[in-house]
Amino acid sequence: MKLNRSAKYAFAVAAAAALTVSLLTPAQAATRSTVILHETNPITGLNCGLSATNSTTCSAVSYIQGAGFNYYNNKKELVKNTVFGSYKITKKSATDFRVQYTVNPGRVWSDGTPIDAVDLLLSHVLSSDAYSIAAGLGDPKSKTAKPAFNGLGYSGVYSDNIVGEPVLSADKMSVTLQYKKPIANWDIYGPGPSPVHTLVLMAEGKTSLQSVSANQDAKDRFLAAYKSKDTALLKKIGKIWSEDYTITTVDSKTNPLLLVGNGGFILESAVAKTSVTLVKNPKYNSGPAMSGTVDKVVFKFIGDGTAAAQALANGELDVYAGQATADGVAALKKISSVNVVGTDQVAYEHWDLHYDTVVDEAPYTGLFSVKDGAKSKALRQAFLLALPRNEIMAKLIAPINGVTTPIASTWVAPGSAMYDKVTASNGSSFYSRGTQETRNASALALVQKFYPNALKSPLKVRVLVPGNNPRRASEFALAKANMAKVGFDLVGDVRTDWPSKLGNSDYDAYFFAWVASSVTQRQSAEVFDTNGGNNIIGYSNPAVDAIIATLDAPMSDALLAAKYIQIERLTNADAITTGVFIHPGVVAVNKDLKNVKPGPLSPQMVWNYWEWTY
Amino acid sequence: MLAFIMRRLGILSVILFGSSFILYNMAAISGDPLADLKLSTDPNRDFLVASLTRELQLDVPPPARYFLWLKGIFGIFIGKPDFGMSRDGSTVAHSLALAIPVTIRLVLAATIFAIVLGIAIGIVTALRQYSRFDYSMTFVSFLMFSLPIFWVAVLLKEYLAISFNNFLREPNVPIGWIIGLAIFSGVFWASVIGGSRKTFWTAFGAAAGIAATIVSVFSLSGWFLNPGLGPIIITGMSVGIAYGVTQLSVGLINKAALKASLTMAGLSLVAYYPAQWVFDKHPGSLSVFIMACVTITIAVFVGLSFSKIDRAPIVRTTIITAVLSAGLVVVDKFMQTWKPYMETDAINYRPVPTIGQRSDLLDSPDYWIKSLDIATHLFLPTVALTLISFAGYIRYSRGTLLEVLNQDYIRTARAKGLTERTVIMRHAFRNTMIPLTTIMVVDFAGVIGGALITESVFGWSGMGTLFRQGLLGYDLNLLMGVFFITASLSVIANLVADLLYSALDPRIRVGGGA
Repeated sequence: MKLNRSAKYAFAVAAAAALTVSLLTPAQAATRSTVILHETNPITGLNCGLSATNSTTCSAVSYIQGAGFNYYNNKKELVKNTVFGSYKITKKSATDFRVQYTVNPGRVWSDGTPIDAVDLLLSHVLSSDAYSIAAGLGDPKSKTAKPAFNGLGYSGVYSDNIVGEPVLSADKMSVTLQYKKPIANWDIYGPGPSPVHTLVLMAEGKTSLQSVSANQDAKDRFLAAYKSKDTALLKKIGKIWSEDYTITTVDSKTNPLLLVGNGGFILESAVAKTSVTLVKNPKYNSGPAMSGTVDKVVFKFIGDGTAAAQALANGELDVYAGQATADGVAALKKISSVNVVGTDQVAYEHWDLHYDTVVDEAPYTGLFSVKDGAKSKALRQAFLLALPRNEIMAKLIAPINGVTTPIASTWVAPGSAMYDKVTASNGSSFYSRGTQETRNASALALVQKFYPNALKSPLKVRVLVPGNNPRRASEFALAKANMAKVGFDLVGDVRTDWPSKLGNSDYDAYFFAWVASSVTQRQSAEVFDTNGGNNIIGYSNPAVDAIIATLDAPMSDALLAAKYIQIERLTNADAITTGVFIHPGVVAVNKDLKNVKPGPLSPQMVWNYWEWTY
Repeated sequence: MLAFIMRRLGILSVILFGSSFILYNMAAISGDPLADLKLSTDPNRDFLVASLTRELQLDVPPPARYFLWLKGIFGIFIGKPDFGMSRDGSTVAHSLALAIPVTIRLVLAATIFAIVLGIAIGIVTALRQYSRFDYSMTFVSFLMFSLPIFWVAVLLKEYLAISFNNFLREPNVPIGWIIGLAIFSGVFWASVIGGSRKTFWTAFGAAAGIAATIVSVFSLSGWFLNPGLGPIIITGMSVGIAYGVTQLSVGLINKAALKASLTMAGLSLVAYYPAQWVFDKHPGSLSVFIMACVTITIAVFVGLSFSKIDRAPIVRTTIITAVLSAGLVVVDKFMQTWKPYMETDAINYRPVPTIGQRSDLLDSPDYWIKSLDIATHLFLPTVALTLISFAGYIRYSRGTLLEVLNQDYIRTARAKGLTERTVIMRHAFRNTMIPLTTIMVVDFAGVIGGALITESVFGWSGMGTLFRQGLLGYDLNLLMGVFFITASLSVIANLVADLLYSALDPRIRVGGGA
C-alpha cells in the first residue's frame, strides 16, 4: 500500500507544481475552410464505371473531380454546364437523329492539358457493344470472358441506338453522334470527358505527370489507336482502366496520372476505408466558378448512423447524411450546432398485387389472378382501398419529414409541376377519396359481393415482407390491422432474400421500393410493360404497352403528361399497384456552412459544391 | 511431444476444412448477391446481372464453388496462397494486410489493460474477500460484463468526448463535481486499504482531501488546457514507484533493491532535461526505442552494482522501476504536446475524437503531435473495450487466487514464518497465473478476430469490418479470407495454450504415451 500513498503524495506535489504553471489563454479559432462530409459506404476505387467500384460515394467523389456537359440539381432537373461546353440536335428524322457535343475552347485538365473532343471518344469505347467487338476487345455479353474494358456501360440505350462511330470535327472540338431514331432523354446518354492521354501514358508505363506537349502526343496516339481499332494498345488501356483505378489508398507514392481531372477539386490523399481528401484544383475552369471559401473537402466513411451523429455533435463532421428514422431525426435536432434538412431519396415505396403468371415462375392462380375476371378485380380494388396509406404516412413518415399525403402517381414524383397535373386526372382519386372509414366501407362491400362471409372467415392474402427492416415491419402491421376490417387476413412471409422472391407465385402481394437512378421519359415503363424487366406481377395490357412504346421518342412535357395520365388511368382501373411514400432521407449540416442543398439523384449532396461557403 | 503436435495439427486441419465448408455454403445460400440489381430500373439491367454472374461465378453451385476457393488456399503449400478477389476489386490478401494492423492497434492495448487491471483488482478482491471493496468490485465487474459495447460506446462518447470537449472551452470543474470525485476517491481507497473503522475513516479523509485538492488545483490553474508533470513531480512519483515496486517484488526489507530502485528514480530527474532535448531534436520512434534500451541497460548496471547476492530479483526490480519512471517522462512529453495539439486547425480545441483512427485534417509534421493524435483516437475505444472485458479477468484471478490460498503449501509457507508478501507474491500469485495463461493466450488470438461492433461504432476498419462487409455484401472470398485467418489463429492459440500449460506446470506432461 506504500505505492498508493506515495502516489498520493506525488500527486499532491504535482498539483502544487502545476499551480505555479501560469494560466494559458486559448488562441482564437481560425476561419474554417474544410468541409468534412459523411458517407455511409467507403469508396472502393476511383473509377465508378466498374461493377466493383460503383457506389454513390464513388459518384460523389468523381463528380467533384470531374465536370461534364450536364448534372442533376436538387430538383431532379438536368442542368447544362455551359462553362464546359454545349450540345444540340443537328438532325432529326424518323431514321436519323444526330446530336453534336462541343467542348468550349480553353478548358484544361488539372495537369494543364487542353480538353478537346478526343477526350469524349472513350465514352463510345465504354458504351458500345459493337465497338468492343469490332476492335477485338471482347463481347461484353459473353458469359465466360471479360471485355477489355470491364465496365457497366454496355448494352444500354446508347449501344442499342448508336449508328457507326462518333464523328470528330476538323478542329477536334466537337463530336457528332448518330442514333438510328430519335431517342427520349438523349442528353443523359451523351459522352463525358476522360483524360485519355493519362491512360495512354500509363499503358506505356509512365508513372509521373508529363509535359503538355508530351500529353498532346499521347492523346494523338489514342486517337490513332481508336480510329484504327488498334487492339493491342486499346487492350492495354482497358487493363489500366479496369484494374489500376481500384485503389483505396492515395499518397505520395500513387501514380499522379490516376488523379488527373477537370473538377473543382482534385484528389490529394485517401486512407483505405477511412477517408478521401480533395483539395482545390488551381487550373479548374470546366464548370461554374468557385464562389465559396471552401478549399478542402474530406469524405469520411462511417457505417454506423449513431456514431456519425455523435461525430457531428463533436464537430468531427460538417455534413451528415443518412437513412432517416424518427428517433434519429429527433436526436439530430437536439444538436445545437447543426441544421437538419429533410430530403427525398429516389426510392418510392409501393404495394403491388399479383396479376398473372410471370416468366420463369409457376402459374399464378391466387386470389388476385386476372383469370378470375370481375371477382379478382373487385378484390384488388378492395385491397388497395383498404390499404391504410394515410395512417402509414402519419405514423411512419410524418415524424421524419412532416409529409402526410401518400403519393398518387408511380410515374412522377411529387414536387414537380407535372405531378399535380398527372395526379389530378390519373384515376388515383378512386383510392384516396373520402376517409379511410368510407374507403373501408366500399372495400368491404366489394369483398362481400363475392364472399358474403368474409368478415367471419377472412380471405388469406399472402404477402412478401422484406426482412431486416423495422419500418416495413410496422408498415405491414398497420396494413394487416386495417385489412382485417374488410375481410382480408394478411399472412406475411418475412424474408431477408426477398428481392429474389419478387414475382414468385407463392405471394399475392408485394411491397417494396423501386430505385430510379435517373429521370427519363420511360420512368416506370419497365414495371408495366408486358415484357418489362421489372414487371414482377405479370401485368399485361395491350393499351398500356402501346402507349409505352411511344415513350422512346422525345416529346413536350404536356404530351408526356397526357401519356402518363392515360397509362395511370388504365393501371388504376386494373387495380394492380399503388404508391405510398417517397423514402425520406435526412441531412444535417454544420450551421456555419452555407449553400448545402442535398438532392435525391446522384451526386446528391455535392452537386453545387462550388457554392459552398463558410 | 512431436507426435502430440502432429496429431493436433492433423485434427486442426480437419476442423478448418469442415468449418470452412459449412460456413461457405451457409453464407452462399444466406442471400442473393443480385438482389440490388433486381430492384434497379436501369435499362441495361440484364447486362449487369450477366456481368456480375460472370464475375462471381454464380452459375457454379456453392459446394462446387467452395473447392474453387479451396484450390487457391492450397497455394499455401507452394508459398503462394491465393485468397481470391473481393468484390470491391482488391485482392483479399491486400485487404487482410491492411486490416490486421488496424485491428491489432485497436484491441491490443485494451487487451493488455484488461489483463493487468483485471488481475490486479482480482487479487486485491481475493485478499479482501467479503469486504466492502470485494462486494463493490464484484458488482461493478458484473455490471460491466453485462453491458453491450455499443451502448457503453455511445455513453463514453457523450460524456468523455462531446461533454469533455465542451468543458474544455471553459475548464472550471464545478464544486459539485469536486465533492463527488472526492467522496468517490475516499471510498475507493479506504475500501482498498481496509482495516479498522479508524483506519477506514483516516484513509477516507486523506484520499478525499487529496483528490479534492488535486482537482481544484487542476481546475484553477488551467491544467486541463496545458497539462504537464515537470521534473519535480516526476521525481516524486518515481520515488513512489521505487518504493512500491520494491515492496511488491522483493520487499522493502531488501535494502539493496530499494537503493538501486531509488537510484533509478533519482536518475530520471538527471535524465529529464537531456531527454527533452532528444525528444525535440531527434523526434521519432527510433530515438524513443534507443532511449528505452539505454534506460534498461543503465538499470541493469545499477542493479548489479548494488547487489551482492540474489542478483536477478534486484535487477528485475530496478528495470521495472526504471521503465515506469522513464514512462513518466514520456507521459510528461505527451502532456506538453497537449496544448500545441489542441491549437492546431484540425483539432481546434476539441481534442477527444469519437471516431476514426487519426484526424484527417492534421498535417503537422511533428512526431509528438501525430503520436498524440493516434493516442487520443485510441482513447475511447480502449476505455470501452477495457471496461467490458476486464470483468472476466477479475473473476478468474479472484477465484483462482482464493483456491490457491487454501492449498496446503500456502499454509506450510505461512507456518514457516515467511512474510505475508512472500507468501502472496511468490507462492500464491505465481500459481494463480497458470490457469490464467490459458485464457490470455486464447484472448490474444481473439484480438486478431477483431471486435466487430467496436470497430463499427468507432469507425475503424479492421478485421471485424471486413467480416461484416463480406457477410452483408455476399462477398464470399472476403468472408472466407477473414474466417481462415481467425479460425487458424484460434485453433493454433489453443495448441499453444496447451503447450504453455505443460511448460508452466511441471505436473502436466504433454505426449509421452498419453
